[in-house]
Amino acid sequence: MNENQRVQQVLSGNTSAFAYFVETYQDMAITIAYRICGNMQDAEDVVQESYVKAFRNLRSFRSDSKFSTWLYRIVYNTAVTLTKTQIWIGNRGAVAAEEVSHLADNTPELNMDENERKEIVTDVMQKMPAGDALLLTLYYLEDNPVKEIAKITGLNEPNVKVKLFRARKLFREMVVSNWGVQITGS
Amino acid sequence: MIIMIDKYNQQKEEDKLRQILSSTKINAPENLEHRIMRQIEAENALVPRNGKRIKESGNLLKEMGSIFGIMYAVLAVMIAGVYFLYGKEFLFTPQFVGAVILVASIFSLLWLISRLDSHLREKKRIR
Repeated sequence: MNENQRVQQVLSGNTSAFAYFVETYQDMAITIAYRICGNMQDAEDVVQESYVKAFRNLRSFRSDSKFSTWLYRIVYNTAVTLTKTQIWIGNRGAVAAEEVSHLADNTPELNMDENERKEIVTDVMQKMPAGDALLLTLYYLEDNPVKEIAKITGLNEPNVKVKLFRARKLFREMVVSNWGVQITGS
Repeated sequence: MIIMIDKYNQQKEEDKLRQILSSTKINAPENLEHRIMRQIEAENALVPRNGKRIKESGNLLKEMGSIFGIMYAVLAVMIAGVYFLYGKEFLFTPQFVGAVILVASIFSLLWLISRLDSHLREKKRIR
């Protein structure tokens, strides 16, 4: 059964069919909310509120787009409204990138175990500006194309590409500056 | 050839980042799904109430129609009576226009009172 059929099921009164969408997308939804809110409690509230909004407005979901994109857009808007933050304003990332750019070269690549690598990556993602961390999350965790990311965040496509490029660069550089290593795959 | 090598390196780099960042996905707490579904089911339980609201707005139109319907019927009788008893000219006199305004005001007041009454009843019912 595809997602549009499930949506139709929910619309025809089968509320429990909505559980599929909760189960499938809740991890990514909470990851997005966490990147914007910065704490788990708010992120959980945002996800809960977003799913309820999605359920209420399911009739307005157009089947020509992906359900996940539509849902993540709701999560994004709810989180931004809750935190009252302007996540695309400020060039903290750019400054950080300039500060550490000299460290990126000639740093030995270290192969490390899974846990250590996870600790480093999580730490860097938390220290990064919320917008940059969000873009990396959307692009690499869900394999969302730039077009879908633009729909979720409300930015235009060239802007997403530029910000994604900077976020990628900043991520690498922050790993080097904070941990003195370049991460490699195992 | 150089372009192909560049693309290959770029792809390799992308795959590396994807692999690294995949560990940062947060797992939702176990009870979150339950919380969400419970709230949605509670919301869904309110649907019949919405249906009643639609019915209430139907009642509002019906009530409005009946009060103003009677008002227009009374005005029509008044106009017809005056026309046949006193002629066309009397319809434009200040006395008659005043009488029409008085009748319209009385019926409007009646409608206003009935609306206020049903509003207060509804408020009491919700409490």
